[in-house]
Amino acid sequence: MAKNKTPKQNGGAGKTAGTTKSVSSEKVKGESSIKRHLPLLPIPVIVFLLVWVWAAWWQGDVFRMVRENSFFAFDKTLMTYEISKPYGILWCIGRVLLTTFRYPWLGGLLLSLMLTASCWLFGYALRLKPVLRWIQYLPLGIFTSIFTYQGLSNYFEAESGHVMGIPFCILVILLVWAIIIRSFSRKPSPSIIKTPKDETPTQNHLQLIIAILMLVIPMAYAHYERPYVRPIAKMQVAIINQDWKKVIDVAHDNAEQSYRPLAANYAIALVQTGQIAESLFDIRLDYDSLYICGLNGDRSNAANMYVMECDYHAGLVETAYHHAMESMAMEGPTVRNLKMLCKTSLIRNEWEVAEKYLTIINKIPFEGDFIAKYQPMLRDTALINADPEIQMVRLLEPVHDTFENRYIQPVFLGYNAGLYEGRSINALWNSLMVHIYTKTMQDFLARCQPLQGSTPPTSVAQALTLMANKNPNLLQMFNGLNMYQGSLVSFIEDTRQYMTEEVVDTGVITSAQNRALHARTLFSKYKGYYPYYYFFGNLKATKKRTTTESSSAGVN
Amino acid sequence: MAFIACGKKAELPSQFTTAQEQAVIYPDYRDIVIPSNIAPLNFLVKDNEADECVAEFRGEKGSMLVASGDELTIQIDTTEWRSLLSENRGKTITVNIYAHHNDGWTKYKEHTLTVAEEDIDPYLSYRLIEPGYELYRQLGLYQRNLTNWNVHTIYENNRTFSNDDNHCINCHNYKNYSTEHMVFHVRAQHGGTMVINGDKATKIQIKDSLILASGVYPSWHPKHNWVAFSTNKTGQTFHMYHDEKIEVIDEASDLLFYDADKNEVRHILNTQDYLETFPCWSPEGNYLYYCCAHEPQLAEVPDSASAQVLLQHYDSIHYNLMRVTFDEKTLEFGEPEMVVDCATQGKSISVPRVSPDGRYVLYTLGDYGQFHIWHKSSDLWVKNLANDTCYALKEANSTDVDSYHSWSSNGRWIVFSSRRMDGNYTRPHIAYFDKQGHAHKAFCLPQEDPRQNILLLKSYNVPELTKDAVRVSESTLHETIYNTEPTSAKYVKTARSTKTGLKDGVDAVTGASPKAGAVSKQ
Repeated sequence: MAKNKTPKQNGGAGKTAGTTKSVSSEKVKGESSIKRHLPLLPIPVIVFLLVWVWAAWWQGDVFRMVRENSFFAFDKTLMTYEISKPYGILWCIGRVLLTTFRYPWLGGLLLSLMLTASCWLFGYALRLKPVLRWIQYLPLGIFTSIFTYQGLSNYFEAESGHVMGIPFCILVILLVWAIIIRSFSRKPSPSIIKTPKDETPTQNHLQLIIAILMLVIPMAYAHYERPYVRPIAKMQVAIINQDWKKVIDVAHDNAEQSYRPLAANYAIALVQTGQIAESLFDIRLDYDSLYICGLNGDRSNAANMYVMECDYHAGLVETAYHHAMESMAMEGPTVRNLKMLCKTSLIRNEWEVAEKYLTIINKIPFEGDFIAKYQPMLRDTALINADPEIQMVRLLEPVHDTFENRYIQPVFLGYNAGLYEGRSINALWNSLMVHIYTKTMQDFLARCQPLQGSTPPTSVAQALTLMANKNPNLLQMFNGLNMYQGSLVSFIEDTRQYMTEEVVDTGVITSAQNRALHARTLFSKYKGYYPYYYFFGNLKATKKRTTTESSSAGVN
Repeated sequence: MAFIACGKKAELPSQFTTAQEQAVIYPDYRDIVIPSNIAPLNFLVKDNEADECVAEFRGEKGSMLVASGDELTIQIDTTEWRSLLSENRGKTITVNIYAHHNDGWTKYKEHTLTVAEEDIDPYLSYRLIEPGYELYRQLGLYQRNLTNWNVHTIYENNRTFSNDDNHCINCHNYKNYSTEHMVFHVRAQHGGTMVINGDKATKIQIKDSLILASGVYPSWHPKHNWVAFSTNKTGQTFHMYHDEKIEVIDEASDLLFYDADKNEVRHILNTQDYLETFPCWSPEGNYLYYCCAHEPQLAEVPDSASAQVLLQHYDSIHYNLMRVTFDEKTLEFGEPEMVVDCATQGKSISVPRVSPDGRYVLYTLGDYGQFHIWHKSSDLWVKNLANDTCYALKEANSTDVDSYHSWSSNGRWIVFSSRRMDGNYTRPHIAYFDKQGHAHKAFCLPQEDPRQNILLLKSYNVPELTKDAVRVSESTLHETIYNTEPTSAKYVKTARSTKTGLKDGVDAVTGASPKAGAVSKQ
């Protein structure tokens, strides 16, 4: 049908050909011929597929984490309070839709359906002519842009119902609007599935290009401005799945990035796999600032994003329960804090309250796997202790009771910094690593005594070799340090120029400033090498230590 | 008599086998004494093998059948329940539970509900908040009508997070079991102490350089508009490997007397090395009971070190039950006298409450400290003031926390917070206290949906019984809290304004030792 139309009838394409007088008629003929042969595409279908892939594959882990930081249960008692809040019903609808992101391809399908339908209805409601039909994909761009801009703030101390609730609300409004238009004007609707009959190839393809741009531009923005969002979410999902290898792989893939949640998740995986004393310094630990807003919309340091999990994996089960309860008090129940409350209650053999949490979690859609795994652990200590994750947690549990406020915050670092007695060699590794991480080397050396006569793990050995510069006796006290001496000498030679003051045109750059300037460049060369971290890594913390004099300061 | 529950007609099975044990029900309402005006005791039958149940309630006069609903829930018709209880006041109702399994019906061993002659005060006030911990967000004071399911919101804080509005509310207390006079505190934003007189509310501030902190635990004088407050510097810390989760300690505390008519405050006790807290008037208003621990080190260390000093031996801080006489004509308090010496037994007392007839002091006894709501060792005890005997209320107590209690106005019922259901979330429990001074098995506050006790993720704090409903409206409280500045109570200097127990050279207000060369405020 389009082929039979005149160039004028063909809208944009025809106008372009007709008004460009300077172009030779042969060229115009050739272009028109190409355009006539380009196929018309069912754009809504393609957009639906693209958005599905975007939501499920590209942003799937982020949506999954929004879901984990949300709460919806099919129970009136549990939801009464949420419903009673302003717009509570709408946000609860958003939350129930969000539960499908337990399986990102399912959640993505739902979201894509809503967004695609909204776009189509938007176009219909505005009675857009074919030439302007690309406008209907702007709502898609608004959603993807806001979601990308928000990044971690989509699920950090946020109302999770917004993510699906707002698109749902817009869909309903547009649907009502479209029904009204349809009722009064009998305006025919453009086809969703079939090839459009009233569009030229140019109009048709322009829509596709705009729709793709609505996805690609936010993706590009994310790449440059929010590069940490997807890796952090991916690691968090992997931690939920206890896929430690994936956590480590993601960290290594993003080793140049340096964000606290990323480092915390990486450390958790290393602790769980017994590699903390080998690989902690494989990623950059300088902690760039990230965009994240907490309650009240204020910028946050994101500590609540990982403290609970770090406490738990550091063996501080009661502290993890404490922080999970704080999280529930401040944000309300979420899948994440309920699961932590449940697991820590099971480990503490508090059966009745663990059963309470299991009962509630059982009412959350798509949580069958969690229930299937943890419900049998009720009143079965042997089964609890047979769980690999919990086994590692048990190895790190404190030997004696103390109070949290005796330690520098966060407790999972402060506790290990002050550790005197542990249940396993893993507890010693954690303590040693906290000390070399915080560069409190005297405490580190004091805690190395049990290792005398043995071959320490890599990071510990590198730290000991570094300390042997001042105390050569260390080389005799531990096995295998000699093999690290050569590399230390070359490292010092190589980096000496960055450890001194430097005079430049604009003034004097101090040693610390000099090191900070070159730390990033040197990282790729000395990734995983402790002396690099000691001199060039986490300099903000080192500075803090020197200015606040506390022996354990620098824990951050 | 047959009833329909959840669409099913309840019928007694004609054939069944008899079990030797009682059915396990949640909450545990077996073999208890109940007031005739209590709402229906709805419960769940915990029988994984059963697909339906029938409960038969049979009294000397009347009976009823209830068929189970979803999840084997027995929900009783309120009208029929009320009729059955009123007809059997002072008598016993037997409850037979039948459960249907694959192989037919089973009749469990019966249990009983004894209907007491005396009713309970019909209103229960409490606060709902997540159990313990440092942070709070949404919380509120509510009043439940015990005869039905109605819950009235006395006051709720802001539901939407706002740095400008976030506030905590706590320590509600009434005068003589009546809501005519009430007090509670607002902390953080919009802070102050709310003093309610009928349907009017005023916000006051109890603050003076000679007072440790603001007023905390209150007790209304039974005859006058006077309130005894403790003033506490309280801190909490978290165990890292312990059966208990939290330890709350007072690093300093004194007692205050507040005259609500004159808006004046003065010290009752003002000491450096004694920790006085939880004041409670006797029904005649001629004695003030309170808890007190002697910590001599507090006189020797600066304030900033008090908490650490106390934490080092937190499990050997013991509070005794003390009292002082009070002359309402001169407003003079006498010298402290020991009522129950717990320290010598290695125990510690908290929350004394004198019975309305003045015969008993009900208190919580634990191994150490004063915040027994986080101590599993805590149990309810009474002292019979007539014969000086102390004993545990064994029938009412549990292996978990039993604390924060109050009497009904007739002295026959006590309500208290207990963590017995899951060890974490407090639920109000009610126990009958008979004329011989013995408590009976306690039962949990009934709910329309008994699963509410499982699903609710908040604790019930500070249950207080009253004879009538709160009169002040939520909007009045909201208006007063948000839009009025607190009126400062005038501090009246007396002989007790000077802190006692101080070592030479220690600052009277801060307890701090002055640096060399500095001049002491003393």
